[in-house]
Amino acid sequence: MAVNTQLAVLGGGPGGYAAAFLAADLGMDVTLIDLEKNPGGVCLYRGCIPSKALLHIAKLISEAEEAKKWGVEFGAPKIDVDKLREFKNGVVNKLTGGLGQLSKQRKVNYIQGRGEFLNSTTIRVKKTDGTAEDVIFGKAILATGSVPVKVPGLSIDSPRVIDSTGALELNDIPARMLVIGGGYIGLELTSVYAALGSRVTVVEMTPGLLPGADRDLVTALSRRLEKKLEKIMLETKVVSITEVPEGLKVKFEGKNVTEPEQIFDKVLISIGRKPVTSGLGLENTGVKVNERGFVIVDKQLKSADPNIYAIGDIVGNPMLAHKAAAEGKTAVEAIAGHKTAFEPNAIPAVVFTDPEIAWAGLTETEAKEKGIKIEVAKFPWGASGKATTMDRNEGMTKLIIEPETERILGVAIAGVGAGDMIAEGTLAIEMGAVVKDLSLTIHPHPTLSETMMGAAEVFYGHATDMYRPRRK
Amino acid sequence: MITEFKLPELGENILTADVVKVLVKPGDKIAADQSVLEIETDKATVEVPSEYAGVVKEVFVKEGEKLKVGAVVFTFETGTAEVKAEKPEVKPAAKPTPAPEEVPVKEDVIKSVPEAKAVTGTFEFVLPHLGENIASADITKLLIKAGDKVEVDQTVIEIETDKATVEVPSDISGIVKEVFVKEGSKAKVGEVIFTVEGVSTSPKPKQETKISAPVKKEEAPAPVLQEAETSKAEKFFAQSEIPVKVNTVPQLIVPAAPSVRRFAREIGININMVMGLGPGGRISIEDVKAYAKGLNEQYAATGCPRNALCIQAEPLPDFGKWGDFERKQMSNIRRKTAEHLSYSWGSIPHVTQFDKADITKLEEIRKQFGKKVEQEGGKLTITAILIKVIASALKVFPQFNSSVDMDKNEIIYKKYFNIGLAVDTDRGLLVPVIRDVDKKNIIQLSKELNEVSARARDKKLSLEDMQGGSFTISNLGGIGGTYFTPVVNSPEVAILGVSRSSYEPVYTEGQFEPRLMLPLSLSYDHRVIDGADGARFIRWVIEALENPFLLSLEG
Ligand SMILES: Cc1cc2nc3c(=O)[nH]c(=O)nc-3n(C[C@H](O)[C@H](O)[C@H](O)COP(=O)(O)OP(=O)(O)OC[C@H]3O[C@@H](n4cnc5c(N)ncnc54)[C@H](O)[C@@H]3O)c2cc1C
Repeated sequence: MAVNTQLAVLGGGPGGYAAAFLAADLGMDVTLIDLEKNPGGVCLYRGCIPSKALLHIAKLISEAEEAKKWGVEFGAPKIDVDKLREFKNGVVNKLTGGLGQLSKQRKVNYIQGRGEFLNSTTIRVKKTDGTAEDVIFGKAILATGSVPVKVPGLSIDSPRVIDSTGALELNDIPARMLVIGGGYIGLELTSVYAALGSRVTVVEMTPGLLPGADRDLVTALSRRLEKKLEKIMLETKVVSITEVPEGLKVKFEGKNVTEPEQIFDKVLISIGRKPVTSGLGLENTGVKVNERGFVIVDKQLKSADPNIYAIGDIVGNPMLAHKAAAEGKTAVEAIAGHKTAFEPNAIPAVVFTDPEIAWAGLTETEAKEKGIKIEVAKFPWGASGKATTMDRNEGMTKLIIEPETERILGVAIAGVGAGDMIAEGTLAIEMGAVVKDLSLTIHPHPTLSETMMGAAEVFYGHATDMYRPRRK
Repeated sequence: MITEFKLPELGENILTADVVKVLVKPGDKIAADQSVLEIETDKATVEVPSEYAGVVKEVFVKEGEKLKVGAVVFTFETGTAEVKAEKPEVKPAAKPTPAPEEVPVKEDVIKSVPEAKAVTGTFEFVLPHLGENIASADITKLLIKAGDKVEVDQTVIEIETDKATVEVPSDISGIVKEVFVKEGSKAKVGEVIFTVEGVSTSPKPKQETKISAPVKKEEAPAPVLQEAETSKAEKFFAQSEIPVKVNTVPQLIVPAAPSVRRFAREIGININMVMGLGPGGRISIEDVKAYAKGLNEQYAATGCPRNALCIQAEPLPDFGKWGDFERKQMSNIRRKTAEHLSYSWGSIPHVTQFDKADITKLEEIRKQFGKKVEQEGGKLTITAILIKVIASALKVFPQFNSSVDMDKNEIIYKKYFNIGLAVDTDRGLLVPVIRDVDKKNIIQLSKELNEVSARARDKKLSLEDMQGGSFTISNLGGIGGTYFTPVVNSPEVAILGVSRSSYEPVYTEGQFEPRLMLPLSLSYDHRVIDGADGARFIRWVIEALENPFLLSLEG
C-alpha cells in the first residue's frame, strides 16, 4: 500500500506536530507518522508534561509543609500512588487526545507506526497492526527527537535502574533513591521523589549542579535542595551498580566520598539525551549527521538531502520543546517557499525545580568564556514585596547588558515563577530593548515581575526598593 | 561665494517630494551633513542633509509645498574653507559610518566606558593595544600635525601590523601640541604618538581601545552569532558609500525585532549590514528600507547587476545616423543566453585546447552498426558515441565533472554523469541534458538523443530537461568549420566543441594516407583544471575514438 503526500513528517513530538499543523494550515497535504496513538512525542508522553504535573504536586506538598512556619498545619500527607499516577496519566491523555483531535480537524493524515526512509522520496511505515505502508513524499521533515543516554556498565537490566521515562511512570515511591546526573531533568525528578517521601541522593560529576548555568542562580536552588535531600555529592563518579538482594549496591569514586559503597532501592540515570538517528534508513538518503549524531541542517533546517528537513532534538541543543516547535514552523515556511530562517536572538531555558531557574540569551558564564564585555545588574528578591509575602526571598533577577549600547543581551531569573517571567526577558532581547525600556515600563505591583524593572533600575543605581548606588 | 542647495536625487522614479519641515532659516549656520529639510516621497519620509557648510541666505520653499528634484531649496554663502561633505546622500541624519576595508573581528573594538568626567590640560595619545601578540606597528600615515584640531573618534594615524592596516581613532580632543612619530617609523604599543592641549573625556591612564586582530574583510570569520552569509554584492557595496554598520560593539544579537528581521529577509537584505538608528543601535523597518533604497540607488547609478561583475554597458550610438534600422524585443531565450554566457565568460578563466581525432576506423564501425541502431529506433551519430566517450572520460578525470564554489572555497565533485547537448533551434540555443549516461549504452543514448533533439525543436523541453548537466558537447560539424572556442556552460567546468570531419593526408609509415580527421576544441575552467590535465583529457577522448575497443576496456 502506498500514499502520496506533499509533506511527510516523521515523529509527532512538539517539533513534528507543530510543523504538520502549520503545513496543513498553509494548505499542504500532510502525513504525520509516529509510534504513539496520538501526537505528543517525548514532551507530552514522558517529558515536559508528566514531569510538570508531578512537580505541581511536589510543590503543593512542600508548601503545605512550610505552612507550619506561618501557623497552618495540615499534618503529614498521605500519598495514594495509584491515584497520583492516574492524575498524571489523565493529564497526558487529555493533552495528547486533544492533539489527536486537532490533527483530525486539520485533515492531517496520521499514521501510527515506525517509519524508515527507503530513499529520498519514500518512507516505509511498519504500522502497529503489522502491515506496511509506503509514504511517497515531496518533502519530508525528520523530527524523531531524542532518547535518554544509556551508560554501559551502569544502565544494567534491572527494574530498579530507571531513566526519566521509568521515573515518570511512577511505579512506586522508593524509600532510598539515587539520581545520577545533576542536570535539569535529574533535578526535576529529584524534586518530585523527594516531595513524595523518598530519601534522595544526587550525584554529579562536575563541581556544581546544573552545569552550564550561572552559579549565582544555582545557589538559591542548591541551598533549598540540600535541606530536602539526603545528600548532594559533587565531583563524584558512580563506577558500578550491582544488584544485591537488598537493592542496588552503588560504588562511588571522588575525593569527597565518605561512604564509597551504598545501597539504594532505585537508581535514576539522567546524564543526558541523544538524538534518534539510527534505524531510520537515513543511509538511504542524502541526510548527513555530525560526529555527535545530530543531523546537519542549514538555517532553514534543510539537511544535506534537499528533500528532507530536520527539526527539534535531532538537530542539536538546546533540546527543548519550544525550540523544536519554532524550528518546525520555520522548516514548513521554508518548504512553502517563504523567505525565512531559524535565527532567534534568544531561546529561553527553564528548570522547573522549586525555586525555578530560567534564563534567555547570553549568560554570564558564556560571556566570561568568550571574553565578551558585559555589565550585570542584579535585583535580589530580598527587596521584592511580593516575594516577601510568599516568604520566598531567595530569588534573584539579573540582566546581562551590553555596556556601550545598554542593550539587553541576556536575562536570568532564579525564584518562584521564574519560568513564566522569563518570557518578558526573551521579548526584551528579541526586540533589541535597552535597559531604559525595561526601567520605564510600568510593572504591576505587587508582583514578582517588578523585579525585572527593579534590575533595570539597579543598573542606573536608583532602584526604589533597594539602596545600591552605582559604583562608578 | 553664494551657492544653491537643490533637492537631490531621491531614488529611482522619484521626481517630486512634499516638504514636511524646513529645518533652516536665513542666517543659520549649517554644517556639512546637517539635516536641512524633511521631505516625504511616496516611499518614505527622509531628512535631507546639506552637502556643504555655510550660512543660509535665502529660503525658497515652504512646508507643505511640493518640490521637484533639482529645485532650488535655499541659497547659502560659503566661506573659503568650504568643505564638501564626503557623502552627499539622502539618509536620516545620524552620522553615517562608511565601512572600512578592515573589520575588526573576534573581539571587535571594545572601548572601556569612559567616565563622563571632562578634564582639561595636556594629554598624550599613545598607540593603543592592537590585539594579542602585537607589540608594535608601522605608522603608514600620519593624519595630524602640530596645531591641528583633533576630535574624539577622528582618525589620526594609519598603521600597519603584520596582520592588517588599521585606522586608529583618537580618544582625546584638543589642539595637537607635539607629534613624536614620523610616517614610516615604527611605534610600540603604549608609545606616545602626540600630545594635545584640550579636554579629555577619558582621563589617563585609560587606553583600552582594543583593535584586536583585525583581519581583512574577505577572511573575516563570522563574529559570534553573526550571520556569515553576506552576499557578494553586499560585500561589494559594503565598501562603497551606503552607510553600513561597522561593528563598534560585539555583534551578539541583532538589535532588531523579529518582525523587522523577517521583513529584511523578505526583501533580501542582510540585516547585519543595516545601521540601526534607534536607541542602542536598534534597527527599525525604516532603517532597513533606507538601506535597501541606498542599495537600489547604487545599482541604478552604476548599472551594476546583482552579481558583482560590474561591467557597465557603453552607451549605444545613434545608429540612425548611418542608415535605417529596426529595434526588436529580445526573446526570453536570447536574453537568458546573453546573461548566462556573459556570466560564464566573465567569471570563468577559459582555456581552449585543440586537437584532431582520426575517426577513419570509427566511421567504418559506425556504418557497420548504423543499420542495427536504426532498427532499434536510434541513429548512430558521432555525437551519440561522443556522449558515451565523454562520460567515461569524466570518470577518469573527475575534475572535469566538478563545479567551483568560490564563496565556500570548495570544489564540488559530482557523482553523476549527465551530458548536455547544445542544440540549435529556430528560437535559439538550447541545451537539453541526457542523464546517467554511464548507465546507458550507445543505442539507448542515440535513441534518447533523437528524442531530445526533436523535443528541443518542438519547443517541448521543460526547464528540468535542461538542468543538472556535468559537461556539455556542442557539435557544429553539421554546418562546417574547423575549430572554435566554445564557452563553458557555468556551473560546469568544461565543454567540447566538435567541428566537421574531413579527409586529410596523414603521413604514416613513409607515406601519406587519406584519414578522416575530426577537429575537437575543448574549453575548460582554468580555476580547477590545469593545462596539462586539459591536454590529457582531450588525448584520452581522442584515443577512445581512435581505438573504440578501449572504451570497453577502460570506460
Ligand atoms: C523528563 C523530561 C522533561 C522535559 N521537560 C521539558 C520542559 O519542561 N520543557 C521543554 O521545553 N522541554 C522539556 N523536555 C525536552 C522535550 O521533551 C524535548 O525537547 C522535545 O520533546 C523535543 O521534541 P521533538 O519534536 O524534537 O521530538 P520528541 O518529542 O522526542 O518526539 C519524537 C517522536 O518521534 C517518534 N519517533 C522516533 N522514531 C520514530 C520512527 N522511526 N517512526 C515514527 N516515529 C518515531 C517518537 O516516538 C516521538 O514520539 C523534557 C524532556 C524530558 C525527558
